[in-house]
Amino acid sequence: VMLHGRYHEMAPNVVPMDYTKDPDVKLPMQLIINMPELKENPFKERIVESFSEDGEGSLSFNDFVDMFSVLSEMAPRELKAIYAFKIYDFNTDNFICKADLEKTLNKLTREELTAEEITLVCEKVIEEADMDGDGKLGFADFENMISKAPDFLSTFHIRI
Amino acid sequence: MSKRERIKAIQKMPETMKRKREIRNSLSEYFYRLSFWHKTLKIIGGEFGTSVLSYFIFLKWLLNFNIFSFLINFGFITIPQFVTAEPNNLSFTGLELLTGAGYFQQTVLYYGFYTNATIRKVKNGASYNMQLAYIFTVGIYFVICLLILLFSMAKSFSRNFINPQTYSGNASKLLCTWDFNITNEKAVKLKQKNLSTQIKVENTGDSRRCKGTESACWSHSAKACALISFWHSDSSMIVRFPINLSLPGFGSWHTVPKHSGLLDLHHFSLPDVHAFVFSFHPLKCWETLIGQDIYRLVLVDFIFCLLGSFFGEFLRRIIGTTVCLSLGVPEFDIGRSVLDLIYAQTLTWIGILFSPLLPGIQMMSFFIVFYVKKVSLMRNCQPPRKAWRAAQMTTFFMFLLFFPSLSGVLSVIAVTVWRLKPSEGCGPFRGLPSIYAAISEWVKILENYVDSKWVAWIYNNLITSELFFFILSVVILVITYLYWQIIKGRRTMAKLLREQIINGAKDKMFLLEKLRMLQRIENPFTPRRQDQQVSPVAQIPLFQSCVHYSCVGFF
Repeated sequence: VMLHGRYHEMAPNVVPMDYTKDPDVKLPMQLIINMPELKENPFKERIVESFSEDGEGSLSFNDFVDMFSVLSEMAPRELKAIYAFKIYDFNTDNFICKADLEKTLNKLTREELTAEEITLVCEKVIEEADMDGDGKLGFADFENMISKAPDFLSTFHIRI
Repeated sequence: MSKRERIKAIQKMPETMKRKREIRNSLSEYFYRLSFWHKTLKIIGGEFGTSVLSYFIFLKWLLNFNIFSFLINFGFITIPQFVTAEPNNLSFTGLELLTGAGYFQQTVLYYGFYTNATIRKVKNGASYNMQLAYIFTVGIYFVICLLILLFSMAKSFSRNFINPQTYSGNASKLLCTWDFNITNEKAVKLKQKNLSTQIKVENTGDSRRCKGTESACWSHSAKACALISFWHSDSSMIVRFPINLSLPGFGSWHTVPKHSGLLDLHHFSLPDVHAFVFSFHPLKCWETLIGQDIYRLVLVDFIFCLLGSFFGEFLRRIIGTTVCLSLGVPEFDIGRSVLDLIYAQTLTWIGILFSPLLPGIQMMSFFIVFYVKKVSLMRNCQPPRKAWRAAQMTTFFMFLLFFPSLSGVLSVIAVTVWRLKPSEGCGPFRGLPSIYAAISEWVKILENYVDSKWVAWIYNNLITSELFFFILSVVILVITYLYWQIIKGRRTMAKLLREQIINGAKDKMFLLEKLRMLQRIENPFTPRRQDQQVSPVAQIPLFQSCVHYSCVGFF
């Protein structure tokens, strides 16, 4: 009920109060990334894109609820890992390759590092986490790395 | 996005959706409970991140223990006492709030006031045995606390310490440590700046070390010594004074500065309580006197906590921004604050037997501390710069709450209940040889009733029999040993499987190289680009059969 209230208040003209007829209403990305919980997050566009069905960033109410369920405290670790992998996979090829890592690093540090440093860090990351040696991180590598970081469950969490 | 992944995710979704619907359908009570401090915690998490938030969540968790204790003590012990209360002849002056003595001595605050009679409101009606009520309420509360703490600790440990490898590796720093909770623009910018600085520093091969918080040791020991020497003129206390001063010396060799002050705290607080108990023993109504002392300790601890917040954060900020600009704005000292909380909770637990309403007082103090710390945090502190492993540190703090704190309290209470003679003139156990004798006498009475013979049987043959506990211990030891062996086997298995993956990857690279070489030999005149496009498709069946043979060879 709370989530529906938040969804509604973003675009009161478009979102109906009554969902029994299952209307097909989608909110564009621009509205959603202006939510106070997401506004300052460097990954806000990727988060919204990963949960949108059409891949372009518009969320229906179900997608909206999905997003906040996965980012809530109660979601299991595997589910969070799946979506975190999607968020960091910028070119959506189901692998986190070096280019994805470079983009992640740029977003995390606000482009304050030189190109050399970025390359160095990305190479180190791939060296550490790539288990099957294909030069990029598959989902299994990513999940393995997540299991070593116990804080992941509490940091990959947005309160609403 | 692959369809399979989405379907898998959607299949897992209905569980969370169903749960959300259940919550929606249940009473608004649930929402009320959820929103108890929910907004405040959200704001704190948004501005300062998960690490500082973990302190406030720990505080809220400890508060729950106190609320529970206060409710059951009030319900089962205090309310019946009100029925047979004696009038209070002493006058009330404001000083009692500080000393806990005087007027309060004849109130339900202390053990001494409670009656040892069996309370009967209506003649020949239902009776309420105060002795049993007192000992069972306190006993069952501690058992429940112990179980809750054990389960929380085990769950937390299994979640956070299973793979304690390379936390500070680059991979996890890049992909796992971004705190999605932070919603404040300045905090986000600060965190990004910190991360980039960290990466730059690591690249140049430097390593910074955390500075020790030996000042924390000194302040804690000094505080407690001041308390103890101030309130007592007993000679045994003065002997303890130099011991307490030397304890910080032990603190300095700790390599992890965050909990350097801790062992000092527990080192002196428990032996001191033992000393309290034994030094007071021959006095009249010693339990009430101990209760008063603990009340004073709780009060002084609360005052010191507020003062610490005032000096540590408020004045430090003023000094840092006006007089001595190099110091800067302070950071919130999570370790020290959590140790303060654990100390306060230990005092409360010790005091429950002697002053049943003490958890209520501690409850109020925690409430006030929460708001004071929150305001001080918002006004005076900046978000933490260094990485704080919130999940692992929370597990460690829970362990500290269990091991020196709760187990120490349980041993003190066990000694008091089993060995010490309750005072003759006051309290619900007056006249008995020990507090525990109330239970043994009750069981003897039960033996005379046919219906309750089974209770007496359980008591005589299970609880007081050594053979039963011996057999139980042997069984538990055997099970523990079996689990240990299973864990060792699984660890070896995990290592072997990891090596297998790495070997498999090496095989794959080797075979791909070979295939490329073979294809180049076969088609020397076709252009490079075409060759690379064709090879992945042709490679797959060939590659699969090669990998299969190599795996067979591996085994």
